[in-house]
Amino acid sequence: MRVDFFLLIAGVLFSIGCIGVLIRRNAIVILMSIELMLNAVNLTFAAFANEGQTMTGQVFVFFVMTVAAAEAAVGLAIVIALFRRRKSTDVEDATLLRW
Amino acid sequence: MSQELTRVLIESGVKIALFFVIVLTLIAYLTLAERRVSAWIQDRRGPNRVGPFGLLQPVADGIKFLFKEAITPLNAYRPVYLLAPALIFVPALVTFSVIPVGPPVRLFGYDIPLQIADVDNGVLIILAFASMGVYGVALAGWSSNNKYSLMGGIRSSSQMISYELAMGISLVGVLMATGSLRLNDIVQQQAQRGWNMFWQLPGFIIFLTAAFAETNRLPFDLPEAESELVAGYHTEYSGMRFSMFYMAEYANMITASALLATLYCGGYHVPGLARLGLSGNVAALLGAAAFGVKMGAFLFLYLWVRWTLPRFRYDQLMNLGWKVLLPASLLHLLWVSLIVLKGWV
Amino acid sequence: MNLLIGLIFLAGAFAAVRAFWPQRQAVFGLIAGVTGATLLAVERAALLTLQFWAGLIGFIAILSALLVILHPNPMVSVLFLILNLFCVALFYLFLQAQFLAAIQVIVYAGAIMVLFLFVIMLLNLRVEEGLHLTGGVQRPAAFVLGTAFAGVLFWAILHRRDRPFLEPPGSAEGFGTARDLGVLLFGRYLFAFEAASILLVAAMIGAVLLAKRRLQ
Repeated sequence: MRVDFFLLIAGVLFSIGCIGVLIRRNAIVILMSIELMLNAVNLTFAAFANEGQTMTGQVFVFFVMTVAAAEAAVGLAIVIALFRRRKSTDVEDATLLRW
Repeated sequence: MSQELTRVLIESGVKIALFFVIVLTLIAYLTLAERRVSAWIQDRRGPNRVGPFGLLQPVADGIKFLFKEAITPLNAYRPVYLLAPALIFVPALVTFSVIPVGPPVRLFGYDIPLQIADVDNGVLIILAFASMGVYGVALAGWSSNNKYSLMGGIRSSSQMISYELAMGISLVGVLMATGSLRLNDIVQQQAQRGWNMFWQLPGFIIFLTAAFAETNRLPFDLPEAESELVAGYHTEYSGMRFSMFYMAEYANMITASALLATLYCGGYHVPGLARLGLSGNVAALLGAAAFGVKMGAFLFLYLWVRWTLPRFRYDQLMNLGWKVLLPASLLHLLWVSLIVLKGWV
Repeated sequence: MNLLIGLIFLAGAFAAVRAFWPQRQAVFGLIAGVTGATLLAVERAALLTLQFWAGLIGFIAILSALLVILHPNPMVSVLFLILNLFCVALFYLFLQAQFLAAIQVIVYAGAIMVLFLFVIMLLNLRVEEGLHLTGGVQRPAAFVLGTAFAGVLFWAILHRRDRPFLEPPGSAEGFGTARDLGVLLFGRYLFAFEAASILLVAAMIGAVLLAKRRLQ
């Protein structure tokens, strides 16, 4: 099994996540799209770790997961705070700091 | 297809079928046991009309569930509403596949382990599927479009997340003592150095409490507290779909008891059995029987506690989880690491 | 024959999309599609090849990722993201990363996604809110840029050097187990590991402060 296959899948997943961030306005779905992109990156790390037979790539996946957990927790807390203020999770409604 | 592969496939298939039948039968008779034990505790007789000692009662219940009308509420979100009972039932059964029930048996010239899959990361797989159980409850609550169901779902998801932490950390004590994530190694290590239950007593108690909370059983059955929430997350379910939740509760209890027996009470290990010098298969069967007895003891404890203790209040439950069990499990971890570091065990 | 399998997969995909779209139920179509594909695969004895399974999982991963970003109901997005995470966990098993596969399910599917589910239930967002898409130029631009980005990625992947980047260090015995990862984490990457723990504490305090109704 060639590593290229996993890289292709990861590329598609990353692009989908990227499109999701750009087209969706629901803050929760945007956060989910970011998780999708982080996952695609993790997959490439694991694929390269397998190709090079070094564990370093897997260590990186571990750290990316940590960052993803922190990001999700803070992001969702912001969504809850936003919802309290604006009664909506739409990012178009949070325009106060826009220039 | 090579011959070895065929053999492995047949062996696994037979084992999976066997485990499936045994666990489902156990679930059926656990429902009867619950009613008989509760009757005994409350000085009543319990169901004793269908068959001798009421032994055919589960069959009658099953037929009744099958013939009840399955109602879908008008504004329920249908795909998720239909998916939820399966989502809660499957993880409970899957977890059982990595638990070693007994030492290997020798049949037809092959050593056959009494375990569906002897995986390297057995403990992690158990944790993974235990954390999957929350989806069934939460989604059932959300998709029913009923405020009591929703509250039950929210309660259960926060409760299960809270108690998973203490459960995982108390489990780390066992892993540190063994130095392996394989469940067979954990059983072997306990056979050599004594059961974890004794010298890791705080961890055992924390794990036991968390297991009660994870299976949503009294005194922690807040997700379906009938005095506040009608029936919690499964208020809107009827017929066979309701019985899926009902069976999943018992399946979870069986899995949790099997886990407690494996991780803390030596699994299929019987003290002093090795000295008797019994031949392989007899010893293996005795080991499996011992595992059954240990599991049964924990199942009885589940029933006993349910009919003895009152329900916690929700804030009490959260306080217990975060302010008592979590710090206690961290302290316990320090204690175990000290013991392991000094080599006292 | 391959074309036929592909068509059946497409039918199954279509059915899956329809099944979770509001007011449409075609679960039977999905089941039929998957069964047909499996039967064909058994006939061609493809069921035992790793390629077949990898292809199937990759297909499900991409399909579920599309549903995550295109479904109007955030709850369904969460469910399909979980499916996607499971697919990636299976890929980790293909890539000799058993420990990562287990961690993926425990951390992502078991903790992070439950958090998403919990927030959606807490805010009680309903289906009627609809697909919130950005209007105007941004939507087509997003698709064009996203596709272009994917194209660049594929070009890079297909034209990369064909030999391994690093030489394999001999045998791969015990590669990807908890022990191997632990030795690295508590050895060479100890500082990063501790920094990650500080990051988690900071994130936890931040989340509590942000989500708390009023501070005393």
